[in-house]
Amino acid sequence: MALGTLDRTLPPFFNQGPSALSKLIFFGALSLFLMVADARFHVTQPIRAVLATVLYPVQWLAQQPIHLVHNSGEYFGNLNQAQSDSAEAGKKLALQSLRAGQVEQLTLENNRLRQLLGLREQLAIPLMAAEVLYDAADPYTRKIIIDKGQLKGVDLGSPVLDESGVLGQVTQVYPLVSEVTLLIDRNMAIPVLNARTGVRSVVYGDPVVGGSGIELRFMGSNADVQIGDLLTTSGIDGVYPAGLPVAKISRIEHRSESTFSKIYCVPQALVTGTQHVIVVKPVSGQLPLRPESAEPVAAAKKGTLK
Amino acid sequence: MIMRSGQQLLLPANPVFIWASLIVALVLNMLPLGRVPWMPDFIALVLLFWNVHQPLRVSIGVAFVFGLIMDVHQTSLLGQHALSYTLLSFLATLIQRRLLWFQVPLQALQVLPLFVAAHGFQLVIRLLGGGIFPGWILLMAPLAEALLWPVVSVLLLVPQRRAPDRDENRPL
Repeated sequence: MALGTLDRTLPPFFNQGPSALSKLIFFGALSLFLMVADARFHVTQPIRAVLATVLYPVQWLAQQPIHLVHNSGEYFGNLNQAQSDSAEAGKKLALQSLRAGQVEQLTLENNRLRQLLGLREQLAIPLMAAEVLYDAADPYTRKIIIDKGQLKGVDLGSPVLDESGVLGQVTQVYPLVSEVTLLIDRNMAIPVLNARTGVRSVVYGDPVVGGSGIELRFMGSNADVQIGDLLTTSGIDGVYPAGLPVAKISRIEHRSESTFSKIYCVPQALVTGTQHVIVVKPVSGQLPLRPESAEPVAAAKKGTLK
Repeated sequence: MIMRSGQQLLLPANPVFIWASLIVALVLNMLPLGRVPWMPDFIALVLLFWNVHQPLRVSIGVAFVFGLIMDVHQTSLLGQHALSYTLLSFLATLIQRRLLWFQVPLQALQVLPLFVAAHGFQLVIRLLGGGIFPGWILLMAPLAEALLWPVVSVLLLVPQRRAPDRDENRPL
């Protein structure tokens, strides 16, 4: 029998290390501590950033087979599909060029009117295109991972759009990738404006099992909302630029037990299957500082009263 | 080591193979297939396997580290997978000596409650933290892991089952 046949190293009799129970208690406490630090105090960003950077090659490796299958499927897609796609794109382009022509004229007119009224120039928004790497596998949240990170200048809290509307917001920035929480996540809220009536409100993520939706909350049952109303960003939050389409109202339920009606909306962006996204710098960096008013004025008033 | 009768005497395990199997499980878990709640957790499976078969090489500390890696990859709560894998490998050390006396299909039945506990633990943690309930299809995950136990038991023991002396009749 060859020498390497049996395990000839003696198992340690006395030096067994700490017992399983003490290990369980130690690592259990450590992970509880991490969870609290992560959920309550948000101080685990450095650990995540380091681990995410180390993991990047493995993630890249894991993505290759899926990319390969996807790409080869596209490669062998038939001619008809390509032709019909191209025709459709042509139609879309024609429609858009009409609008684009109008936009030129409207921008000019708008600028003149604004100058006339002495309003501030509208904010120019810096943009960055990014590609969706994968849906985060965590089934308890709705997040995606995009391929631009700190090194490319993505800021925490940046709004993310696709070609048809707001998709979500950057909630975690790593050196090479960033994590975008989708509109339909339960913890997301966006201030919106009803484009038809001009009423401001807030929509909240409302994920149902296996689907995607958002909810317009706190609208009284007698409020003026109709099915099909377009909700756009209102821009008063200092994060999202104003006027981006967010959702359309799809169903209104009047409920007798509540003064509010339950309003379901469908997001305009393709929240479940988009490939390319635009990352926008948050507006807050470009807004002017708040005027330092209040106290000096009050003091002056007091002075005059005396 | 006392073994059940009729079981083959195994070659010593190669640490390189153990680590390679863990890395392969990591890559399998990282396949970007989207949000699939019933997806079996390959790392939990391989960690449990080595915890049962090689408790001196792979134990709770390794489970904790792989848990942290999964947390960062899935963008879940940091420590969620770490805690669940820690628990899983502790339970594995509890049943390790008993488990190897059973036939492999019966072993699968024995490890099912462990996987259920690990997934249930994660579910409770996330629902307490305000997560979205992913649907009852989640129950399929521990079931799939238990069904994969016999497959893994064959695959990961192949290098240890090779013949000690190779000849024409037993080339491998």
